[in-house]
Amino acid sequence: MSLAIGSPDAVGQRLGSALGLDAPLPAHDAQGTVCVDVPRERWHDALALARSDGGMDMLDWLSAVDEPDGDPAGVDVVAHLVDSRSGRGVGGPGGPGLVRLLARTRLPLADLAVASVTDLWPGAAWHERETHEMFGVRFDGFDDGTGQGLRPLLLPDGFEGTPLRKSFVLAARASKPWPGAKEPGESDAGPPSRRKVLPPGVPDPSWGPREAGT
Amino acid sequence: MAVDLPAPRVGPLAEAAPRPLRLVLNWGRRYSLWVFNFGLACCAIEFIAASMARHDFIRLGVIPFAPGPRQADLMIVSGTVTDKMAPAIKRLYEQMPEPKYVISFGACSNSGGPYWDSYCVTKGVDQIIPADVYVPGCPPRPEALLHGILRLQEKIAAEQVSGAAIAQRRRPASAAQLTRPLVGPGGSGPLRPAGS
Repeated sequence: MSLAIGSPDAVGQRLGSALGLDAPLPAHDAQGTVCVDVPRERWHDALALARSDGGMDMLDWLSAVDEPDGDPAGVDVVAHLVDSRSGRGVGGPGGPGLVRLLARTRLPLADLAVASVTDLWPGAAWHERETHEMFGVRFDGFDDGTGQGLRPLLLPDGFEGTPLRKSFVLAARASKPWPGAKEPGESDAGPPSRRKVLPPGVPDPSWGPREAGT
Repeated sequence: MAVDLPAPRVGPLAEAAPRPLRLVLNWGRRYSLWVFNFGLACCAIEFIAASMARHDFIRLGVIPFAPGPRQADLMIVSGTVTDKMAPAIKRLYEQMPEPKYVISFGACSNSGGPYWDSYCVTKGVDQIIPADVYVPGCPPRPEALLHGILRLQEKIAAEQVSGAAIAQRRRPASAAQLTRPLVGPGGSGPLRPAGS
């Protein structure tokens, strides 16, 4: 039902040729939704084409994924587009279902910037502001009508850092002594041994005040 | 036939009040708590459940309909306290008139709870305001809130209305606190510049 837009290869082909590229865009099936990878400089064009020709008139959400282990390492900006005229029951009981698409582009760590889509969907303004404050991604051409530019949405004034990046360390783990298990599966209190791989954001045990007995 | 009674107050005279009068004043205060409910997250739903028919904390004398902080004497902070919400909690607590009590309801307001290591969570509401009773749980059962209210009532009943106790409750503000700038509703800057 959710592959109503077509197979990943067909979507990659259509979008690639619509953008005027030689090769089809890489696309894969992400748990029932087609996810197409768009080159960074064609981000705005690709989304504009999806909107005008593909009928994807609704931007559901826009966010980012930090991929420090990717090849190349960078931050993926992902947008979820929906055709609001489609859906379960539209076109009869055996109808195609909800037509939706995930569009993704990878930004290199050296230059976390991509075109803004606020001229296509004004509602993207809040999504882009949140992605900007949480991941440090710059959206060029951002315009939400207030003239105030790209600014934080949720974090308190004076907050420094981009919290959802994997390199952002959770300082509370080092500064506040916490009794009991800190990770699922730990049965006893105590810092994880250095040989274990720590989850992203958890500081090394050498940070902060030492717990008693270490 | 209406009888004119003066409103009971815990004023300076209460220090000199004879013991039976103190018992009456404590009794009056602990059995007519008006709650300024600071419901922030899931624990607020448990608070609502505790106020509804099955558990019903109104039968303990706790009325959940305070129109605002200025007409309340109990503040129940239920839910995760974020760093962005913390100044609002502090400001509303200061707007409550004395004597006032605070119940911290749920793990998040006790100590940060399951989100203790988050980048934006205040690790316990007692970092900003003094709490009298802590109700543990995630979320606590409504019966746990009833228990917490009973403990608070026992605590009020045991209040010695002595000069030292009143001085400790009043917690006189420091000079820095009194001249701290107010935060405007838009959060865009001080309404009143510091020092004036």
